[in-house]
Amino acid sequence: MKIVTVSGVRGSGKTTLIRELIVRFREQGRRSTVILNEAGEETYAQEFLEAHGVELFPLWGG
Amino acid sequence: MGCSLATSLVSAVKKIRRALNPDFLFIEPSELVVTEEMRTATRMALRDVNYTSGPFVTLVDGPGFQDLWQDRQPLLLGQLSGADLVAVSKSDLISAVRMEAIMDTLKGYCRGILRLSVHSGSGLGELVKAMEGSS
Repeated sequence: MKIVTVSGVRGSGKTTLIRELIVRFREQGRRSTVILNEAGEETYAQEFLEAHGVELFPLWGG
Repeated sequence: MGCSLATSLVSAVKKIRRALNPDFLFIEPSELVVTEEMRTATRMALRDVNYTSGPFVTLVDGPGFQDLWQDRQPLLLGQLSGADLVAVSKSDLISAVRMEAIMDTLKGYCRGILRLSVHSGSGLGELVKAMEGSS
């Protein structure tokens, strides 16, 4: 398991980038999980998570 | 990132490692968290969980850079400092001249910097390579 951290202010494209990476790695047969420490403007839709076999762990506070 | 949140993060990493053990665990921190805080929290996790450390990536919003640099510079510098890779996002939405100016401003604060556009795919290959190669 490799941990990749993607930081940035709201609207910088963190969720968009991570979603794209999940899709790319999934195409190579590699599985991803996400820890989300805030509700971004872009969200991980349930359909997306299910389609790509991704578990999402929200962490509240900061 | 407060101590309790760091503890929660460590607990989540441990749970994920044991229950799922994915190839990649992406952490998307709150916008107010700086890179050194993330490094500290993940180092804490490493005491108790066996995982590989990938890159710490910081995204800088290309179109919003000017306001960000003017109004939130301490936060941005905290996110740049210690990042393995900095990516200027939404690069397809800004001119080449503006992008050059952003790169010039940032390069003194970054180890590695690239232009990124998820929309066009620019820079994604380099990011993926960094994630596959980092350990």
